[in-house]
Amino acid sequence: MSLRRYLPHYVMIAPFMILFAVFFLYPIVSGLYYSFHAWNGVKPPEYVGLANYQKILLSREFSTAMRNLLTYVAITVPLGILVALGLALLVDSFTGRWANFFRNAYFMPVVLPAFLAATIWRWIYAPNFGLLNMMLGWFGAPSVNFLNDTGTMLYALIAVDVWVSAGFNMVIILAGLKNIPVELYEAARLDGANKWQQIVHITIPMLGPVLFFVVTYGLISAMQVFDKPWLLTGSSFTSYGGRRNALLFPVMDMMGRAFGSVRFGEAAAYGFLLTVAIVVLTAVMFGLRRWRGWA
Amino acid sequence: MTSQSLRRIPVWSLAKWGLALMIAAIALFPIWWMINVVFALPGEPVSINPRLWPTSIPAGIEKIHLIFTETDYLRAYGISLLYAAFTIAGVLLIGSLAAFEFALFEFPGRSLLFGIVMLSLMVPTAVTIIPTYLLTSQLGWLNTMRGLVVPGLASAFGLFMLVQFMRAIPKDMIEAARLDGASHIQIYRHVALPLCRNALVTLAILTFMQTWGNYMWPLIIGTKPEMYTVGQVVGLFNSPLSHQTVDMVMTANLLAAIPPLLFFLIFQRKIVEGIAMSGTKG
Amino acid sequence: MAFLDISSVSKAFGTLSVLDDVNLSIDRGEFVVFVGPSGCGKSTLLRMISGLETVSSGTISIEGEIVNEVEPALRGTAMVFQSYALYPHMTTFQNVSFGLRMAHRPREVIAKKVQQAAAILRLDKLLERKPAQLSGGQKQRVAIGRAIVREPRVFLFDEPLSNLDAELRVQMRAELMDLHKRLGTTMIYVTHDQVEAMTLADKMVVMNGGRVQQVGKPLEIYDDPDNRFVAGFVGSPKMNFLPAYAIDASSEGVRIGGIGGQAETVLPLFVPGLTGKVEFGLRPEHLSPLLGDAPQPEGGLLLEGKVKLVEELGAESFVHMDLVDGTRVTVRAGRDAAVTGGTFRASVDVRRALLFARDGQRVRGPSGSRK
Repeated sequence: MSLRRYLPHYVMIAPFMILFAVFFLYPIVSGLYYSFHAWNGVKPPEYVGLANYQKILLSREFSTAMRNLLTYVAITVPLGILVALGLALLVDSFTGRWANFFRNAYFMPVVLPAFLAATIWRWIYAPNFGLLNMMLGWFGAPSVNFLNDTGTMLYALIAVDVWVSAGFNMVIILAGLKNIPVELYEAARLDGANKWQQIVHITIPMLGPVLFFVVTYGLISAMQVFDKPWLLTGSSFTSYGGRRNALLFPVMDMMGRAFGSVRFGEAAAYGFLLTVAIVVLTAVMFGLRRWRGWA
Repeated sequence: MTSQSLRRIPVWSLAKWGLALMIAAIALFPIWWMINVVFALPGEPVSINPRLWPTSIPAGIEKIHLIFTETDYLRAYGISLLYAAFTIAGVLLIGSLAAFEFALFEFPGRSLLFGIVMLSLMVPTAVTIIPTYLLTSQLGWLNTMRGLVVPGLASAFGLFMLVQFMRAIPKDMIEAARLDGASHIQIYRHVALPLCRNALVTLAILTFMQTWGNYMWPLIIGTKPEMYTVGQVVGLFNSPLSHQTVDMVMTANLLAAIPPLLFFLIFQRKIVEGIAMSGTKG
Repeated sequence: MAFLDISSVSKAFGTLSVLDDVNLSIDRGEFVVFVGPSGCGKSTLLRMISGLETVSSGTISIEGEIVNEVEPALRGTAMVFQSYALYPHMTTFQNVSFGLRMAHRPREVIAKKVQQAAAILRLDKLLERKPAQLSGGQKQRVAIGRAIVREPRVFLFDEPLSNLDAELRVQMRAELMDLHKRLGTTMIYVTHDQVEAMTLADKMVVMNGGRVQQVGKPLEIYDDPDNRFVAGFVGSPKMNFLPAYAIDASSEGVRIGGIGGQAETVLPLFVPGLTGKVEFGLRPEHLSPLLGDAPQPEGGLLLEGKVKLVEELGAESFVHMDLVDGTRVTVRAGRDAAVTGGTFRASVDVRRALLFARDGQRVRGPSGSRK
């Protein structure tokens, strides 16, 4: 009786749940299994214990990738969100048609496929005839090979990243701004607060939950950065990471081990290592949120 | 009052407008520049034509014609469009069926199942991509449309978004339909779906953007040139080993940008709201 | 066998009991109103009749057939929701015809039935409008129209008028009564508003705490309530309850003392052995003001207190006074009774007074009558 009563519900969720189980839950479990095995996809997997993890942690590529990642995340996330916050406040100070225009203009880079952002910027960064070098030339500066000079590569990537992500975060922050009741600002004005004081004492605190989301989401996606550095360095599975691995990141390293060196067990283990790092970071963020008492 | 505001406008306001316009230029210029490169005679030195505005429309059209006839770009375009279309149809259908149940009905296991799916939003792609690839390959789906589409259909984000919308449908309305003799499927089809049309459109657009811009998955699933998507072709054209000219490469880039830009110009409000919602309600 | 029979029906959500052993029979064509405070289980009972809620134990039968396991749509019931539950994306025509269309009835049949319903409810000109373009009263009529086309054996109304403003509510009440007269179909109506219940009901079912407190015609319930809850719930302003105690009971009647702390009287009830604490129930209209030095009626009961508040409503006014023991008593007075303050006296029509035992049950004579 009760099964018959509930059957229609289960039938309706079945397609989703089955696909979810097969293409999400099963891969996680099988990935864990592979991570303890050496496997090249042809011969049967061979149990190796923690050897895969050990190998990754001891490899030079891993430490390079992690060092790059830490620098990258430490700069790109705060910078991207500061820019996004600035853009949101700027757009919010306009009204009507112009507010719309500026919002859409700043959002435009988000709309482009990520692979395209990288390829366009490759041309802008190109030595000699690239747009940026052309502009440097106007001021008589020497040409810089942005994507091949280990001193500039990371910053070139961060610039592209901010160019894309600022618009995305701006839209979310803008929605948060719209949710702040006008009465709060009116009350603050009656209390004699100036524009700057209003931003510091009302806008930022009221944006707490939204900023939390933006920062957390930004961190999680930055830790998995792949498309942009991959394409900026013109990588392929046999050669990636750019000059002296200056733009080598963990996901690139993982993909290289899987599809370049065909060591799937190692790549699966890499995925779990990265996940642990992301989970720890997310947990820290949520801990911070509880500590600061954001909703 | 007027005189006061007039006096105050220039300083602050001019700076604000200047800044806003400058940033708009930075945001838009790379796209504008891409268009200019395509619509310029090939081979003109930068010193003569700095590509600051389109200089030759026929040259651009000729390049587009050339890229479609001389390279495999047209096929990649078709593959990308099909990949997006199938994914959108599947995500919307499968997601709305499940969201209908999770949002509007009670059944044993409901919160548990929904909780697991929502938890998966926290799991990074990095951990699933390799094993999912291995599974797809074991199924013999490499270099097939199935392989591109099916593993991405159970979209937890899509489910989340549709459930949020469907929760707003009053229970009374579902009960009224039930009393009217509508079957479970009829309630889904005639009451729930029309009421969350906006959410479906928004999800369709976001899914399109996401699929069209997906680079990593097609890169490992479609290894044969016949299955290349726009992203892969653009990546190859731009690679250091590419033998394509700058003009061809930029044309490929521009054509890859057109569908999402077009979508954005038509549906800008829906896209912006969809993204804002995922951020503020998440 | 009655048309609709509810026998020993209970409902529990988990461990929370919502309805407890409800027994009720409803005749064909009756207008029945379930009334009670919120949370009394009246809506749940209605939803169980419709089939939207399952029955935990007991049976519900319509025309002799037990419907506990019958699909809601097949019970021959139609429901009008408090929120109207109109589909916002459909026109009036599509809303009204929804059930027929889902059942794939022929187009001409649908058109004819909708036309008939529209004529009854004066919806003819609104058929192409969507709910957002309709007023509250019009939405209400569309919701009723949707019920009518189903040609149900029973109409179920779940607080259908509570979203309307006061004036429209009175008007819709009249329309509903008129509709009931014309269709002659059984209607069950749920409300928390006892005035609405009094005006609409053929049969009124007063509920509280998941139990049926009393069933009867509105005036019977008003005049002859079974317990303190019903007495207090029905009628506005509320009945006055005065603490008192029974001194002794003889064949003459019960002698009650300490009414409101002071008065004493004999009630013509034969209840041997009744002693101890009781409550004395008096409706405001069964108290008459004694103005000025008017003499106290012979053998009657007199209450005296301090005036705390006078509500002047135009045709009548209500005087609220506090007796010596602090009991608040409301007295209905004519508008010529100019009361301003100070002490106030009212004589009691003892024959209309009700007596309640300590457990709240009504104390009646052996015949059960009040006369």
